[in-house]
Amino acid sequence: MNSGTAAKDQHESGAAAAAARPETLSVEDLSVHYGGVCAVRSISFTVEPGQSVGIIGANGAGKTSTLKALMGLVPRSGGRVRFGETDLAKVRARDVVRHGIGYVPEGRHVFPGLTVEKNLMLGAYARSWRDPATRRTLEEVYELFPVLGEMHGRLAGALSGGQQQMLAVGRALMAKPRLLLLDEPSMGLSPKLVEDILAVLVRLREEGLSLLLVEQNAKLTFEATSDCVVMENGEVAMTGTSRELREDVRVRRIYLGL
Amino acid sequence: MNLPGTLRHPRAPRLGGLAALIAAAWILPYQVGGYAIHVVNIALVFALLAIGMGLAMGIAGQINLAQVAFFGVSAYATAILTTHSGLGFWPAAALAMVASALIGLLVGIPALRMQSHYLGIVTLGLALGFINWTTNAEIAGGAEGISAIPVPPMFGIDLTSEYLYYYLEVVVFALALAFGLFVVRTGLGRRLKAMRDDPLAAGAVGAEIPLLRMTAFMLSSVFGGIAGVLYVGLIRYIAPETFNIANMFLLLAMVVIGGRQSLVGCVVGAIGLTLIREQLVDHPTVAQLGFGIVVVIMVVFAPTGLAGVPARVRAAVDRRRGRSADRAELRPFQPYEPAEQDARTTEETDAGAAAESVAPMLEVREVSKQFRGLKALDGVSVTVARGEIRGIVGPNGSGKTTLFNVISGFYKASGGRVVLDGRTVTGARPYRLSMLGVARTFQNLRLFGEMSVKDNLLVALDRSRTAASWRYVLWPVGVLRREHRLNEQADALLARFGLTEFAGAAPGSLPYGIQRRIEIARAMAGSPRLLLLDEPAAGLNGEEVRQLAEIVRSIRGSGVTVVLIEHNMGLVMSLCERVTVLAGGVVIAEGTPDEVVGDPAVIEAYLGDSAMAEMPLPTTTEVSP
Amino acid sequence: MQVFLQTLIGGLSLGAIYALVAMGFSLVYRTMGLVNFAHADVLMIGAYAASTFYMSTKLPFAVAMVLSIALTGLIGLFIERVLRPLENKDFTLMLIGTIGFGMVLQAVAVLIWGATGHAVDNPVQAAPIELFGLRVRTYDLVVLLIVAVAVVLLVGFLQRTKRGAAMQAVAMDHEAATAVGIHVGRSNAIAFAIGAGLAALAGGLVGPLLYVNPTMGGAIGIKGFAAAMLGGCGNIPGAIVGGLAIGVLDSFAAGHFQGYSELVVFLVFTVIIMIKPLGLFGEMTVSRA
Repeated sequence: MNSGTAAKDQHESGAAAAAARPETLSVEDLSVHYGGVCAVRSISFTVEPGQSVGIIGANGAGKTSTLKALMGLVPRSGGRVRFGETDLAKVRARDVVRHGIGYVPEGRHVFPGLTVEKNLMLGAYARSWRDPATRRTLEEVYELFPVLGEMHGRLAGALSGGQQQMLAVGRALMAKPRLLLLDEPSMGLSPKLVEDILAVLVRLREEGLSLLLVEQNAKLTFEATSDCVVMENGEVAMTGTSRELREDVRVRRIYLGL
Repeated sequence: MNLPGTLRHPRAPRLGGLAALIAAAWILPYQVGGYAIHVVNIALVFALLAIGMGLAMGIAGQINLAQVAFFGVSAYATAILTTHSGLGFWPAAALAMVASALIGLLVGIPALRMQSHYLGIVTLGLALGFINWTTNAEIAGGAEGISAIPVPPMFGIDLTSEYLYYYLEVVVFALALAFGLFVVRTGLGRRLKAMRDDPLAAGAVGAEIPLLRMTAFMLSSVFGGIAGVLYVGLIRYIAPETFNIANMFLLLAMVVIGGRQSLVGCVVGAIGLTLIREQLVDHPTVAQLGFGIVVVIMVVFAPTGLAGVPARVRAAVDRRRGRSADRAELRPFQPYEPAEQDARTTEETDAGAAAESVAPMLEVREVSKQFRGLKALDGVSVTVARGEIRGIVGPNGSGKTTLFNVISGFYKASGGRVVLDGRTVTGARPYRLSMLGVARTFQNLRLFGEMSVKDNLLVALDRSRTAASWRYVLWPVGVLRREHRLNEQADALLARFGLTEFAGAAPGSLPYGIQRRIEIARAMAGSPRLLLLDEPAAGLNGEEVRQLAEIVRSIRGSGVTVVLIEHNMGLVMSLCERVTVLAGGVVIAEGTPDEVVGDPAVIEAYLGDSAMAEMPLPTTTEVSP
Repeated sequence: MQVFLQTLIGGLSLGAIYALVAMGFSLVYRTMGLVNFAHADVLMIGAYAASTFYMSTKLPFAVAMVLSIALTGLIGLFIERVLRPLENKDFTLMLIGTIGFGMVLQAVAVLIWGATGHAVDNPVQAAPIELFGLRVRTYDLVVLLIVAVAVVLLVGFLQRTKRGAAMQAVAMDHEAATAVGIHVGRSNAIAFAIGAGLAALAGGLVGPLLYVNPTMGGAIGIKGFAAAMLGGCGNIPGAIVGGLAIGVLDSFAAGHFQGYSELVVFLVFTVIIMIKPLGLFGEMTVSRA
């Protein structure tokens, strides 16, 4: 990896953090209901420290609901979710980030009326803004996404879809998470931009960050992750390594609902 | 009318209770003193105002803070016409009513462009403007107001007597309330309530939203006008302070505390608060403080007001006894009679010239839709033959629902044309399209939440026009006959969809699968030619999906063309003759389900990987999850 | 020309006060979608509190103002807490609820200060300034200055502080704000308190210009709302432009139509808002889908 010193810094601190607190995300029997409709039915999986896991499946399979339930943004109707020693059921949505979990929402959801830099700094809301380390993280994010540095004074709403996606990822990284949850980062992006996102994900993985990637784009997911969960109608239909699943024709069957 | 075993609550007022009320109203003057009857007379004026307010705010959902201005316009018009122009009281009153109705229409115009708080501020501003006019205009007597207004003549009855005036008021009030209830419980009222609960869905079942908004304000102002005339005849003196904002808010408190969605509640609130205010006449501030606190408590804890209390108590009791809706059962769907001719046109591929001359049911030609530079649809063309079941599939954000919104008139296309059965309908409003035979359901259920299941269907069954509402005044019998007919049709439709036992239930209280079925029944109530289903299987379990397929096939069999957006590919495969695949706002494939599933472009759109399309397609029996 | 300029200047100080009202209203509206009809009555309480502290306890005007702002801030917090269950849910109910609070505040004012109201001594006794043949009341200049300072402070708070940025973030996307660790409820409460404080500032400033009485909120409040709507409900530059526009319109209407000025102002406002329902700067409105 031919990254600059800043990135090495991040690499080292990321690795150090992971080493100091080897936290596993473990999800057991998680269910989510919306007004009588069962969106997620008793699913289980784990993300080991430094591991990258994908959740794929067709529209409406319950992928986004799963992520939102992990974040506490929708109520969980059953099951246990632990991150390291922490029982996430006891953590309020606004405090999840303080336990080292970053979140990139579906559809990006940047703050459109604020500048790029403000968006990024808000990603570090849980940290002190005066701390030089926060400033350093900002430099690291700019190094990872040079385009954000060029546009730091622009309003986020004026960015292109791909740039907004970068911003959403950058914002989540500002909290120095040990686990990053990404919801459909490829949505609505051109193949070229999907490649860019892939490159970023691969690099974050190499830097030791744990990833949980929810995607409809199976190709991107198989390349960015080591293991995958295939969801169908709110349940886990298959699990396996990304390499295995890539060759498995059943994935296609599930996608097309045959 | 009230089927045994349904959840319908008996609505018809019991005759005994009515007789008792009439008797009580009759003997009241014999029981109370001169001042008390004056208070009662004032209370009746407020009650009329409250009914008008309830119609606009509670029934039609239009915030109206100009009700005192409607009241004032007719009061001032009567006063000015009698004192300045020398007209008799009743001719002046008639003209004043017209003036009030016209002002109602004028104030209603902003409602066409804005809603909720915007409308609140504009109507309140116009009310302030009216007060400003009365305090300054010479003709309105300025701050002193107008006095020496003549006594209304009444066949030699001396209406200076407040006792005799009471009888006049009580008769007018009873007639006005009866008319209000008549409106609320028949077609026009249902349509207003539908607009209140969900203006988009109301438009989709044929409610002309702009006209309905104006109608709501006009109804409101007519009740305000009646109140104004009665007030002038009673007091025979008017001054600006009667029509100030404090009284507007008092009126609002009456309506909210009584229950804005029930006219009887509004009346109870108006009479109750007037009497309480009279008790506290020496402590008006305490009364205001009390009313304010009660209003705040009401909106937070009992938004339906006193009128809603019985229903809440009943619901609580039902919950403790185990929910009554659970006891009701969904009956199987009874298929439609197949329509022979229409079914054949799709079967016979060699139908020849006769079939070819028939225009396709739906033709979407090169339609584009842009949202602020983002192209949601880019030159989409789809042709759906008569009697076809067409599936539209595609990944998230591919423009499927946008396409439906363009076809059903919710969005205006940025380019291209929509042709329905040979007729260009691009840019037509949803209610126009509904009248032309387009019906739809919504991805996130849009039922009218505060209306019963049967009323939901009745709104869509009623194909009369709002413009025909003159019949309420001139030919009420016709309205009642129509109601009778519609009721029979609604019962038949409920029975067909197996929903009879849920007729009186609130849709929100029912399981999701049943709500989905109600929405399809509602769409079918308008006897459409083209039915658009947006993700009808979302949230349904396997058995429900099977039933859905059966229902959709039967609907098609009856001659209706069906287009459905669906993620459940299994359903699409089994149901649709042809499938159109959208991705990124462009049609990327079209063909039979089998053709489409094997298309590399489709696989790539779904999985992001064209390489996977090269792999053999597994047969369904090969693996089981 | 002379008359024109004189009228224009006459409208500016009241316009600046409308702008303050509009800013408070917009701040609350855009952070939590709560349309606060009690805003006008909070202003009235602020005017009473400021004038009482100033005249009865002989505190300096500035100190009286600060106390009044703190007091109304607390009232704002209370209103927000009570109506919180309705936030972002039912606009109509929320609107009615705040009208209920308005009734309560008016009644409380009558109970404390009586129904008649009182005049407030002008805290700035200097003679009017003559400028290019125009007479400008010194107090008007003071009002404009204070409003300008308030705007700078508010904008500075929103643009330069962490809390201010968080408040804007909540307004734009409360779920994303939660995910980065912002306490949405607390942010909303602070927004509400600041909104109430701005109303109190407006009330305190308007006291010496008009007469302080329990129903003074009505006209000022509605014109403040109108200003916010003209500016596009939810942005600060819009609120300022809207406020000044309504003030100047007011002043010209008073000059040309005398007693009918209010009627004219509301009719003109209604026509403008009909043509541009999203206000003059409508595109900037935050959509709360």
